[in-house]
Amino acid sequence: MQSNRVVVTGRGTVNAIAENATAFAAALKAGTCGIGPVTVFDTTDHRTQSGAQVNDFNPRRHIPRAYSLKRMSRSDCMAMAAALEALAEAGLMPLTPERAAQTGVVIGGGAGGMLECEPVYARYLKSGPEGLLASPFAAFSCASSADHIATHLRLMGPKTTFMTACSSGATAIGYARDLIRLGAAEVMVCGGTEPLCRITYSAFNALQAVDPDYCKPFDRHRRGLTLGEGAGILILESLDHARRRGAGIYAEVLGCGISCDANHMTAPDPEAAGAVSAMTAALADAGIPPADVDYINAHGTATPANDRMEIRGIKTVFGARARRIPVSSTKSMIGHTLGAAGAIEAVACMLAIEHQFLPPTIHHETPDETCDLDVVPGKARNAKIDRVLSNSFAFGGNNTSLLFGRFDENGGVH
Amino acid sequence: MNRRVVVTGMGLVSPLGVGRQAFADNLFRGACGIRPIERFATTAFKSHMGGEIRDFSPRDFISGRNMRRMDRLSRMVTASARMAVEDAALDLDGTDRQRVGLVIGTAFGPVDIAVQFADALFGEGPRRVNPILVPNTVMNAPAGHAAIELGLRGINSTVNHREASAETAIAYAAMQIRENRADVVLAGGGDILSPFLLAVLERFMALSPQNGGDERARPFDRHRNGPVSGEGAGLLCLESLESARSRGAGIYCEMAGWGMSSAPAPANDWTGDPAGPVLAMQKALALADAGTADIDALSAAASGGINADRLEGLALERLFMRGPKPVVTSIKGALGEIFASGGIRAAAMALSVHDDMVPPTLGLTSPIISLDTVQTTARRMSVKYGMINACASGGTFAALVLRKFDEG
Repeated sequence: MQSNRVVVTGRGTVNAIAENATAFAAALKAGTCGIGPVTVFDTTDHRTQSGAQVNDFNPRRHIPRAYSLKRMSRSDCMAMAAALEALAEAGLMPLTPERAAQTGVVIGGGAGGMLECEPVYARYLKSGPEGLLASPFAAFSCASSADHIATHLRLMGPKTTFMTACSSGATAIGYARDLIRLGAAEVMVCGGTEPLCRITYSAFNALQAVDPDYCKPFDRHRRGLTLGEGAGILILESLDHARRRGAGIYAEVLGCGISCDANHMTAPDPEAAGAVSAMTAALADAGIPPADVDYINAHGTATPANDRMEIRGIKTVFGARARRIPVSSTKSMIGHTLGAAGAIEAVACMLAIEHQFLPPTIHHETPDETCDLDVVPGKARNAKIDRVLSNSFAFGGNNTSLLFGRFDENGGVH
Repeated sequence: MNRRVVVTGMGLVSPLGVGRQAFADNLFRGACGIRPIERFATTAFKSHMGGEIRDFSPRDFISGRNMRRMDRLSRMVTASARMAVEDAALDLDGTDRQRVGLVIGTAFGPVDIAVQFADALFGEGPRRVNPILVPNTVMNAPAGHAAIELGLRGINSTVNHREASAETAIAYAAMQIRENRADVVLAGGGDILSPFLLAVLERFMALSPQNGGDERARPFDRHRNGPVSGEGAGLLCLESLESARSRGAGIYCEMAGWGMSSAPAPANDWTGDPAGPVLAMQKALALADAGTADIDALSAAASGGINADRLEGLALERLFMRGPKPVVTSIKGALGEIFASGGIRAAAMALSVHDDMVPPTLGLTSPIISLDTVQTTARRMSVKYGMINACASGGTFAALVLRKFDEG
């Protein structure tokens, strides 16, 4: 009988603490902080000047010359770099035309080519339509990252870009799994990408949602998030397909839960109803009891409201067991990468499962009674990890929870 | 899971009218929603026409407190959502709201608010930006607002792929119902006209009247000279058949299949190879368990674009090379290019399948395709299967197949 199981066979990432998955595992274990001064644009007159920037990002270190970088934004390049890494790890490169025809791409997007368009927009304000230059605006669309990946690799499977703000990357992975289960593609390239840019930076500053120094998830003195940038990509395929071609399997995507707060555009629902519903739906989708979860990669933005809400939601879903489940925020190291966050965090979960360790919540100094779970403060720990839940919550009340499991030949729950 | 998905309602804020009745009347009598743009001055542009929304009173559909917080696109989407729920006679209070979702496609989101925010940032500096604007600068603002207004706590997503945004959203929504993650999903999308967008589109999309001539949308016409831009929103109420049956809902048609594909394309531009759109339509047919000969009517993506229409024309001729062929129409001749037009276009096709009538392709007099096209006036004919095709620049394709509802 055809199995319905979907597995992860490749991973790729570019972020503030690593430019590939191997380096990311080492940096997560070491508790590396990627937060520093933002230099990709002028941060004068903002509440903060810090961010989790990918310093000295050079697309050509990742993307061979065979692929033109023409009209590709920083965001497009980071996504392409992570996609190439993930495909290579999956043993799919060079991609044959037959396989490319059965491969699709789903990307969680954010600001897209905004960074490149901003100076052009400033000129448009002064001089009107004549000031619009063709090439930066060609990369403006948030859909362009998926377009470039599909075009460069000659993919002919389904292509979609999700724009659900901070849950885009997680939603993209959940949908890619659906597409494989439906038989719409054999292989899916999925994840998210997000650049630092002025518009986003000033928006979060104006909302006073950023910590002036650095984010401190679950800490009593937390004052907000730190924006970051980067990309995370997973290669998904059906278990049957992975087996047929003898691919290495890093984990299984067990479940996905999506919900909406329907409460407030930017503030999380203090009752955590939407978060609870997303986590519960992911568990139900996977068909596993809450007791089987070994680690939770939290949304953990470090805004006072999010962290309080999220911990409350975890306690509601997991009950007394919540005290025995480590919950950490990797945003303490790589910042909040918005549209890419769910995807980079999914890569972190893959690495935690592969190397059997808990990524830490760094900058956590003063415990907060509203966040009184094991947040893996300061240092990574070794642990037995079979099942991981990853949360992503967003503006608009868009919540997505993903459930990953260590691959077990006999452990199909479907 | 393999649940059947049906269409039980529709809500529209379109250049052809607000609400199903006005939309259907204007669509089938061959009215044109494209007129001189009135909302802003077009003196700086070569394009002056648009499928603009007029006579839309959001307060008829949205509570005052929520409405004041909404941008223009969010109002159109939320009003459409309200209308779709009412058209489906869905009693939300008697429904598990965690099983009712919303999926919105949009190419540009609330671009007017993003521009206002950017104007302050780049004109006056970071200290002068208005935080009140921020929630409405994100693309998922319309889906968030509509969920709040209607209390929809189920799956909620916003997808973006230029001209294929809303068809992709509908495919995603149908899949979530099929996979049992929701019983009801309002799905479709919308986009708005704005001066900045018109500037961008004129510069990169070559709107009509590119190469001179008069300004007009002429889908599939030999003398087409670029699309005319448009705005609006449209949502379908998609529902599992068991949910629709259990509450005795009226059914417009079945959402029988959907397919998506991509193909290599120049950035932001059109490929000349019809393999991509052919593949998306084939996938939709396969899922619907139908063949090309089954399709009676096809709603094309053609908007009057020089390269886009040529690509789609080639794809249709290749796919329907042998055997019985569908009748082809494009309602973008009446709406303009709304980008996330899939909700409106799918609503039109749901009406065609339900009422056995195919709307005309306004602006089409000398077709570049050999298939039978409906021109000038609507055609009464049996429509058991209707297909909606979507093509987006950058090489993204989606197709939907609707089938006349049959209890079996």
